[in-house]
Amino acid sequence: MNLTIGWLYPELMSTYGDRGNIIFLKKRCEWRGINTEILNLNDGFDAMLLKKVDILFMGGAQDVQQKIVAKDLNARKVKSLKEKIQNNTPGLYICGAFQFLGKYYKDANGKAILGLSIFDLYTENPGLDSPRLIGNIVAKTEKHNIVLVGFENHGGRTYLGKTLRPFARVIKGFGNNGKDKTEGAIYKNSIGTYLHGPILPKNPEIADWLIEKAIEKKYRKKIKLETLDDFISQKAREYILEQLINL
Amino acid sequence: MLNIILILLGKIVISISKLTNIGSGSTWPGHIALNLNNNFIKEILSNNRNLKTILIAGTNGKTTTSKLTAIILNHYGKKVFQNKAGANLMNGIASSLIENSSLLGSIKFDYGIFEVDENSLPLALENINPAIITLLNLFRDQLDRYGEVNTIADKWKNILKKVQSDTTLILNADDPKIAYLGINRKNTKYFGSMGLNLKKDHASDSTYCPRCGSKLTYSTKTFSHLGNWSCTNCGLKKPKTDVANYKYYPLSGFYNKYNVHAAVLIARTIGVPEKIFFESLKKFKPAFGRQESLKFKQKNIKILLSKNPTSFNQSLDTIIKLKAKHILIILNDRIPDGRDVSWIWDVDFENSINNFKSVYVSGDRVYDMALRLKYSEVQDFNIYEKLKEAINSQLLNVQKNEILYILPTYSAMLDLRKILTGKQII
Repeated sequence: MNLTIGWLYPELMSTYGDRGNIIFLKKRCEWRGINTEILNLNDGFDAMLLKKVDILFMGGAQDVQQKIVAKDLNARKVKSLKEKIQNNTPGLYICGAFQFLGKYYKDANGKAILGLSIFDLYTENPGLDSPRLIGNIVAKTEKHNIVLVGFENHGGRTYLGKTLRPFARVIKGFGNNGKDKTEGAIYKNSIGTYLHGPILPKNPEIADWLIEKAIEKKYRKKIKLETLDDFISQKAREYILEQLINL
Repeated sequence: MLNIILILLGKIVISISKLTNIGSGSTWPGHIALNLNNNFIKEILSNNRNLKTILIAGTNGKTTTSKLTAIILNHYGKKVFQNKAGANLMNGIASSLIENSSLLGSIKFDYGIFEVDENSLPLALENINPAIITLLNLFRDQLDRYGEVNTIADKWKNILKKVQSDTTLILNADDPKIAYLGINRKNTKYFGSMGLNLKKDHASDSTYCPRCGSKLTYSTKTFSHLGNWSCTNCGLKKPKTDVANYKYYPLSGFYNKYNVHAAVLIARTIGVPEKIFFESLKKFKPAFGRQESLKFKQKNIKILLSKNPTSFNQSLDTIIKLKAKHILIILNDRIPDGRDVSWIWDVDFENSINNFKSVYVSGDRVYDMALRLKYSEVQDFNIYEKLKEAINSQLLNVQKNEILYILPTYSAMLDLRKILTGKQII
């Protein structure tokens, strides 16, 4: 089996360890005999390349970088990307990328940057006087009741529309906006989330879910992935869980 | 009058902390003084106009560059004091003023050299009118504490507009965001280095033009985003350097070349004769944890503080060149380290980790580091939750003529030195 992982804007949207998610996906595929190719979709990439992609990934970025990305995502690219997401291509969108899938992002100065309007959500930064939402976070996924751990660091507050399901419910931490206990969003096979850490290495179930969905879609068959030894992932999770519960 | 009381109080705190060995009191006296008098630093300095100050800021290399500068000026016959390594917030600067002033607040020194935290530079410049400001670099570091690199660069740009024109600005020409801070400013000097290749580290930040936002072109790079850069869109390019190489480097590693070039440029700006700073560099001993060599249980240990992706990559590069066999990595997530350890995934372990014969990991976040190494396909490594056990166990692998290289984050370095020397630094 072969999977192509499309990494959207690795040079621009990879702020803080986001690459860990790619490394993690790749290794877990390799250890199970699934060949992977990482396709770096940088500034100026050919929209045709998106057709090859089985898993999409996009990380967070600083405001300046997001503007460059917004410029590069022309109508053709946006259309292909929308089709991919609508057609159940699994994807993971972290922080800035998650915000970008929504309708708009209003920055700290009140200036709005339009998003791709694929997810029914919007994000507003309440201004430089409001604190950023920073810290370790524990949340439980809506679908499979998986307890996630990660680290969040965002100024923007995201609000989901009525039709969009949150990815998880916050147990400790802030989540989308620090108020309604929602964390991220899930639409078809696409996950948007604020969790860094990076998210996948400490939450291997999510990595395997993305791989499974990609194989199901590409090879049109259900698959049970071979179990891997996740002892170290578990211990790394436990550290955060103990820290947050002892607080 | 208030300041005199604050100095007395501060000096008492320093003596107590020295007597009781509970850290050297490098932040508390200043903390108290600033709480009771916000203008403490400004007032003390304005009563000591003979004292010239040098500020040194940047993500990596502050402590080493400060120490290099201090040693050169000392050798030149100047009386010099510094804030203590790592005590680089306003309270650390105030503490050093207290420690080095008389009871009446007079400071009989020629130079105060202050390393300044990235976020504290604006506040420092509101209180201090330095003779020289040296800005070394800006890398990704503790986004949870410092925010994004662009945010810091913007803050610096704004505050530098207010700096008086007789202050000399010494900037790293190889770092686009730093170099841009000196555009159109008189009394600005540049250091840089000779790039070798186009090897790309993953954790690269400023590859976009600080003026127009287009992608920069590099003809050569040294590491990360440092190199010979230019913008094909707006024509901005690396400024001409005043120092780009030197005949002698007291420390290994490419990153230390920059530190030496910065110190040499400071020395030349002050007018120190070449012979004097060459002699003093020959005698240089590294600062705490910055390639510091120690003996423990008759074995040789070298510590290389590794606190963000760039400094970690540079440490790995350096020790591979030194033919290191045994290493111990210590990862903590306390306030001075940054609570978020995501950055370890930006370190390029993939190309380096299998150069070592034995690899040990420890620290508060030992399993995060272990996870990172597992996915970099290192052949084998050992996990120890307890630092003491990690050191003792790894030392059994180290022969008498070999060196154990230890790569700790900041608070891990303090823990480590406490175990190795029995003393606390801060």
